[in-house]
Amino acid sequence: MLDNNIELIAHLLRRAGFGANRQELANYQSIGYEATVEELLYPREEQRLSEYLIRRFHPELSGMMGPLASGENWLYRMATTNAPLREKMTLFWHGIFATGYNKVIHGKALSDQTRMFRMHATGSFRTLLLELSRDPAMIIWLDNQDNHKDAINENYGRELLELFSMGAGNYSEQDIKECARAFTGWTIANREYMELRSQRDSDWPYGRISWHYEFHPDDHDEGEKEFLGERGNFNGEDIIDIICRQPATARFISRHLYSFFVADEPPVPEWPYTPPADQEAIDTLTQAYFDHDYNIGEMLRVLFNSDFFKADEARYRKVKSPVELVAGVLRLTGEFDRPRYEILERFSQASYMGQILNNPPSVEGWHTGTDWLNSGTLVERINFASKQIGDATKPGIGSMVERIATEMKESSSPDMLVDACLEEVGALSVDEDTRRVLVDFSARGSRGADRQHIADLLQMVGATQEFQRA
Amino acid sequence: MTTTQKTDFLVYDRAVGMTVMEGKGFYYPVDTIAGKDDRLYVINRSKEETVRGIRVTMCDLDGGYYGNFGTYGFGGGQLVWPACGAVDSRGRFFVSDERLHRISAFDPAGNYLFHWGRAGSDEGELDTPSGIAFDGEDNIYVADAYNNRVQKFTAEGEFVLVIGADGPGAVSLPWGLATDGQDNIYVADFGNDCIKKFSATGEFLAQFGEFGRGDGQFTKPASVAVDRDGYIYVADWGNERVQVLDPNGGFVTKVRGEGTISDWAANFLSINREEAAARATANLEMDIDFAIDDPHEESSHIEKYFWCPSSIRLDSRGYLYVTETNRHRIQVYRRG
Repeated sequence: MLDNNIELIAHLLRRAGFGANRQELANYQSIGYEATVEELLYPREEQRLSEYLIRRFHPELSGMMGPLASGENWLYRMATTNAPLREKMTLFWHGIFATGYNKVIHGKALSDQTRMFRMHATGSFRTLLLELSRDPAMIIWLDNQDNHKDAINENYGRELLELFSMGAGNYSEQDIKECARAFTGWTIANREYMELRSQRDSDWPYGRISWHYEFHPDDHDEGEKEFLGERGNFNGEDIIDIICRQPATARFISRHLYSFFVADEPPVPEWPYTPPADQEAIDTLTQAYFDHDYNIGEMLRVLFNSDFFKADEARYRKVKSPVELVAGVLRLTGEFDRPRYEILERFSQASYMGQILNNPPSVEGWHTGTDWLNSGTLVERINFASKQIGDATKPGIGSMVERIATEMKESSSPDMLVDACLEEVGALSVDEDTRRVLVDFSARGSRGADRQHIADLLQMVGATQEFQRA
Repeated sequence: MTTTQKTDFLVYDRAVGMTVMEGKGFYYPVDTIAGKDDRLYVINRSKEETVRGIRVTMCDLDGGYYGNFGTYGFGGGQLVWPACGAVDSRGRFFVSDERLHRISAFDPAGNYLFHWGRAGSDEGELDTPSGIAFDGEDNIYVADAYNNRVQKFTAEGEFVLVIGADGPGAVSLPWGLATDGQDNIYVADFGNDCIKKFSATGEFLAQFGEFGRGDGQFTKPASVAVDRDGYIYVADWGNERVQVLDPNGGFVTKVRGEGTISDWAANFLSINREEAAARATANLEMDIDFAIDDPHEESSHIEKYFWCPSSIRLDSRGYLYVTETNRHRIQVYRRG
């Protein structure tokens, strides 16, 4: 039987995307929950604001000489794509393989990394790790250009094991050294010139030059290595093969997926000491990892179709990250159906809430969940969401107001108006306290098609705790 | 249409400029106009992150620098999203602004004169004015990008005519404009990946090219120029190249760019020796396996190639100026 429960589909779109408005939900509802999962996993055709238009009207989002451009460009994608899970997974990998402008000083290299995440977001984890190890921004971020045959730099090898694949407690210090040896000679082309320009933040004489990976065989340690109990003349690719075979890797990725899509887990450094909230769910995902040759998309299919994901108690338990909140609001307002000067201001709002894309606080990424909230960021979040969602001059909001106004009659009750507003912003369910406040406000306005009152009520909806959550 | 390339038609001459946020140099230049005595006006778009960088740089082909005018802002003589320029018969410099939806005029020395333009979609109103060009009678054509049309005004902004709004000559997101000696109008039809030609009265005359990467095909053309002999030069922006067509639209040649060190860049490198030494060790033309098939990506790696050639213009001597927004440079060509 077709499962077309709209609240469940709305839950899926909040987690696997950036939320969906009433019309989008109706489209998904017509094909049912499982088909929606498939559509999200394997979108038939990705449509979004054309990269050509972004480049034409925002040269900096193309040349990327400053710290914000790569993130702004990405926000355009999040706000306009019809393949939202791809962008969500790109964001997921960015949170794990956190790479920051403050050290890389090369926006194009970060944008190239984002593109790589996007290309491999739901494919093989092995391929992703391999591409990550060859990614120029990552090489500079974790100093692998300084990892030489006769003088290893352990930085990348350490983080590959600790933060990117297995987690602390599953390998030895000697494994880190052997891992680093296997990645010697993995560097970027024209290293000296590119590194110097990066250190000096140099755009001279002719703007940025993109980076690309280069292997230096004469700087690669060809000697025998012993890694995680296996012995051989390993290179980086062999190391990744071994890593991917480890149950610890499967558990690590599973827990990340659970934390991102189902319910917040504690920060990664606490994982060795704190068991998962739902061990059974982690076991299910771990099994999917091995059953499907490390394929992330297949793990997601299992996750989205699981009872632990669909459960009522899973809903509204996650706090949207600032970027998720901003992207979701921009999708509702429809403001960026074309390039607009204001994109920087909207992008900056996420930074006021504590998140700058492509500039995480450290290699550990951002601390998520309720760590996003403090008295300052909460005010920013509420002000932003309510201001945008209450602005009927925005095309998406204007359409919502018109639809609601058309449906409301003089006889419509305040409750009905609240329901209509909640439905328009994505079949939002609110608790009794929230509803009481909204209905009180609704009752204060005139009945029927008072467009300003409808916009004001939508503004209130943007301020609710449920809207701030996913 | 012939596909035999005439390889000696265009000869690379030199590069002008370098990246500088303020002062002597360019910062995301989007257009270069040769004014009276072939003084160059280079429009710098800059970026939204800063109010610095937006300006019009005055310089010449030989590296002479004559200062800047125009700053960020909403007031008279100020700019937010400057796009394209044109000079009338009196040497006055006009610049379109895609954010302010207006055209601003300056005297040849860069002193602000006036502006006109009102946002909207009615006749005479503008939504994102991009390319501008004067005809022989000092009427100005404006590529009214998001209204998907070209409009003709007097230099003082009095509405005259709408062109290309519908029918077989309908344009989509037009960008650069040019006129020829007969006052025909050429439109870089960005949305339709072609060049369209209209008469002075707005009659659609011809379409050159179609979407693609082959000879005579275009991907998101940005700008067009026509020389005295009727040859048509196109900044084939999405293909990161310049193409030349004969007066009938037949393919003549294409160039990918061969930028060298300009006088200003040489001066920078002579002062910053550590950077010059590191640069001397680098191979900036290497063969690369790209993750995606996109000339834009190739140009981001190979410095000598055009990277976002947003404008192509001729001066009175026949020098061809290709303004590369992302390389902050002008590559200069001439007929072979």
